[in-house]
Amino acid sequence: MSGKRIPRLGVGGPVGSGKTMLIERIVPILAAKGYKIGIISNDVVSKEDAERMRRHLAKEMGIMPEELVIGVATGGCPHTAIREDPSMNLAIVEELENKYPYLDLIIIESGGDNITTTFSPALADYFIYIVDVSAGDKYPRKRGLGIETSDLLVINKVDLAPYVGADLSIMERDARIVRGNKPFVFTNCKTGEGIDKVVEYIVRDVLFEAQPKPITR
Amino acid sequence: MSTDVGEKISSSKAYNRVKSNNYDDNVIDAIGVEDISIMQLADSFFPTGMYTTSNGLEMFFYNKRVKNVEHLKNLLSVFLKQQIGPADCVAFGNAYQAAKDSDLARLIEIDNTIFAMRLIKEIREASVRSGIQLIRCLNQIVSNKMPNNNVHSILESYDNAVRSKKANGVYPVALAVACNMFGIPKPKAGLILLYSFSISVIGAALRLGMLNHFQGQIIVDELKPLMVSIVKENIDKPLSSMWQFAPEVDIVQMMHERLATKMFIT
Repeated sequence: MSGKRIPRLGVGGPVGSGKTMLIERIVPILAAKGYKIGIISNDVVSKEDAERMRRHLAKEMGIMPEELVIGVATGGCPHTAIREDPSMNLAIVEELENKYPYLDLIIIESGGDNITTTFSPALADYFIYIVDVSAGDKYPRKRGLGIETSDLLVINKVDLAPYVGADLSIMERDARIVRGNKPFVFTNCKTGEGIDKVVEYIVRDVLFEAQPKPITR
Repeated sequence: MSTDVGEKISSSKAYNRVKSNNYDDNVIDAIGVEDISIMQLADSFFPTGMYTTSNGLEMFFYNKRVKNVEHLKNLLSVFLKQQIGPADCVAFGNAYQAAKDSDLARLIEIDNTIFAMRLIKEIREASVRSGIQLIRCLNQIVSNKMPNNNVHSILESYDNAVRSKKANGVYPVALAVACNMFGIPKPKAGLILLYSFSISVIGAALRLGMLNHFQGQIIVDELKPLMVSIVKENIDKPLSSMWQFAPEVDIVQMMHERLATKMFIT
């Protein structure tokens, strides 16, 4: 029988925005707090991201077993795979819940543009959308489902702003206008800047400050 | 484009002559809820995740063994004649009957048999994942319609068998339970199986850029008589008569399974 539902965090964003790096940054901090995490990586054309996370988080850092990073091919339809027909993702989530009931969080990563990306509420309880400043400071102002409806907007690669002519104050102003009271965080996943804030939101709004579960294999 | 109404009607009649239409077009009672259920289950909008699988087509495309629309149509014919018809359709027909008879033991036997005939690991896993998600969706539909239903239905029994790992939840069997639940007649239900498979492969071909959307619909249209004949030939056969033989497809699917970079789950 299916175990208790494990909280699910969706992480979406355009290709190259830093989704994988964000996960690679937040997982060690959550793991240090005792939380145990499974990761499902939806990739359009390869399992590269899943293999990278497996190598980094499991083999090099040793903070999670390799089998807890799972890559999923989406048939060229990453938006569909997390929204209108998330069957394959749900199947894998259920398999993780049954096999590893001691997990505290399941992260589901998927590529997706700012205009159309949302996660099915049946798949993700909380949805982080990540963009990077190199796409221009117009990004928040241009709106789209990802930027407007995500529970947390992450604006990444702030160190590149001066080199690409992006004004962070404009992005901040527009993010406030577009998102109202919903939070957003500036990050630099390369250096770790802003990551603690992202983790704070996850612990507070996804895990509800719950204590890590004991491992019962 | 013709503006002559008479000519249009004439073309329509010419087309209708090639279909096996036994219905009186004017009998209003010929329609029923089950007709909409057929559309619902056959629709690619129905959530089974089948669009994530190309059944090896991606590998056929990359190694240039399927280069054009005609090749694709031929490959689909092989799939239907050599695998889906003699294996899945036979299992489906037997599962439909078992569901109708509320015979769980038989359903489990069929489930395990067709599962064992899925030679390629990724195809096997994808079929099970699609089947289980189909069962989940049916559960939602049933609980919405009959929130206080205490009847131990075959759907519930099969779901329990899957959860307790006595059955696998393989797609053709789950679909047979669904079709029986919706009251869809068995032969028409068989068409759903073949149609769903065909459009999942054609959809994969579209996304790979092998053909355009018009060509995809032409293939669907051209395969209609084959789908009908395969269902007629296989749906009432005994389980013991199941077979499949498409060794090139098996080999290419295994090659696809091992591909490091791919869009589809084999």
